[in-house]
Amino acid sequence: MQNPEQQVAEDEQDTADSNRLPTIDDWANIKDCDIMQQQSAIQAEEAHKLPYVGDKEPLSVLEVEYQSGSPILQKKIKTLSEGFAFVRRTRGDGNCFFRCFMFSYLEHVLELQDKTEVERMKGKVEECRKTLQNLGYVDFTFEDFFALYLDQLESVIQGTEASISQDELVTKCRDQSISDYVVMFFRFVTSGEIKKRSEFYEPFILGLSNCTVDQFCKTSVEPMGEESDHVHITALSDALGVPIRVMYLDRSSCDSGVGVNHHDFLPGAADLQQGSDSGSSAVKPYITLLYRPGHYDILYSK
Amino acid sequence: MAEEKYNRKNPAVKRILQELKEMQSNPSDDFMSLPLEENIFEWQFAIRGPRDTEFGGGIYHGRIQLPAEYPFKPPAFMLLTPNGRFETQTKICLSISNHHPEHWQPSWSVRTALVALIAFMPTNPDGALGSLDYKKEERRTLAVKSREAAPKFGNAERQKLIDEIHQYMLSKAPPIPDSPQQTSDENSSTREDQQLEGESPNADVAPVIERQPNPEANDRVVHDLREVHLNANAGPVRVSFRAGVSVSRRVPNAEDANQPSWRNNNTRAPKPADDRLFTWAAIGLTIAIVVLLLKKFLKSSGHDTVSMGGF
Repeated sequence: MQNPEQQVAEDEQDTADSNRLPTIDDWANIKDCDIMQQQSAIQAEEAHKLPYVGDKEPLSVLEVEYQSGSPILQKKIKTLSEGFAFVRRTRGDGNCFFRCFMFSYLEHVLELQDKTEVERMKGKVEECRKTLQNLGYVDFTFEDFFALYLDQLESVIQGTEASISQDELVTKCRDQSISDYVVMFFRFVTSGEIKKRSEFYEPFILGLSNCTVDQFCKTSVEPMGEESDHVHITALSDALGVPIRVMYLDRSSCDSGVGVNHHDFLPGAADLQQGSDSGSSAVKPYITLLYRPGHYDILYSK
Repeated sequence: MAEEKYNRKNPAVKRILQELKEMQSNPSDDFMSLPLEENIFEWQFAIRGPRDTEFGGGIYHGRIQLPAEYPFKPPAFMLLTPNGRFETQTKICLSISNHHPEHWQPSWSVRTALVALIAFMPTNPDGALGSLDYKKEERRTLAVKSREAAPKFGNAERQKLIDEIHQYMLSKAPPIPDSPQQTSDENSSTREDQQLEGESPNADVAPVIERQPNPEANDRVVHDLREVHLNANAGPVRVSFRAGVSVSRRVPNAEDANQPSWRNNNTRAPKPADDRLFTWAAIGLTIAIVVLLLKKFLKSSGHDTVSMGGF
């Protein structure tokens, strides 16, 4: 990160900051840039607490976390621990879903050395590129993000100069200049998918935020740090053809005891509902995320 | 050249070089922007004041600072030319809009931001920090003055770049329609010429906007433009200003009233083919209107102008 040109830019930034806006004396005068500044200060603080992608930890850390918490949650964690052995936390910076997906997917490919999956994914990435082009995005605004993702995808397959180990994958996913680029790649893909199938997503988006599909993508998908919802997950899963399972750790309970709800996001599920054929969509999700209201982490099966 | 000095693997540098390349291969008449040779994160730019506003014909210089985290963090814009809308040497917050806080998005670019800045100029500052609310006459005076010389700023290398950009903009931006020769005689052929002259650059606006990376950003820009036009036509300020510079009052006013409608059609049209269609329809319509107005104007034999003195 200490490249000379960045140093120069940072210096420039400093000089610019010194003649910045006067201090805030009136709440009415707070502009969005002030808010953004404060937000980035908070984010910087948060960064010290947890890397983008944390270490693999035994599930018991959750038990410790909720020691004095709600009994329902404690029960659910117990249920979870029957099926899952480890959890990997991600930073709660609004990008956690995408970050989880990035690590979990790449780790999966790395472990299985699944070359056919890499080829399949490359095909999907090309489809996404075309989607964005058809939507009127200028190539240079998304090219870098695509290229960087494809690099990561290649690097998890062993046997080339660029190959990386699992530890290196962790390091890369913690490196902002890679991690954020891949997150942004997913944001582009998600946005493109939602816009491409806007008639399908419109009712969900209306229910969620009462705005148009385009506005939704502009305010809730493309900007970094905007949290993901089931719309994002559905769109990303569909666009890349990767099934995702989400375990919900919340305080909901039902009469038949405390079970942990889960939802599978299966690519093409929407098509199936509409009766059209989508082939082998009945894949079992290999990416499992733990959802706690407002946040996603990665779960590892036993 | 700058490119050799920088680590092309650095994603920010890579992106910036790509934007530069794109900017150079699709030059615009409305703005020009280039990085300093010594620092690719520092750009100089000039924009042309939006036409049909008090900034029309003005050439406004400024600098852009791209953060090391670009394109994740937004570029900072500062104007150097006194303009009466933004304070000079103060960061302009382009991400703001009155209704929704617009977050910067990596799919935007220096180009998008410059287009937004142009659209921003005629909007009401609403007391925002870094904004100025000069009277239209003062802004117009500054616009005229802005063409005379580029601002003096920075070291010799930067100054050279500023001057270069100024020359380019001068060659692209038509002079301010403030000079007496335009209003002196009003026979039908010159009127039509002026109309077409005023129109062809306008017709260029659509393709320029078309090239914008983010379709949403366009919406906003177009939306702002629309507002701008409404404002320009709404108040008596505009009319009285017009009365000050032009001999024949009725014709330009009537034109103004017609302009927004076809221009909106023009910019709103989503496809290039439609654009062309609308543009030609608009040109035809405007010519017809001008001819009709001239007929009427000639009929009322020009003595009628006194009756407009009320403004």
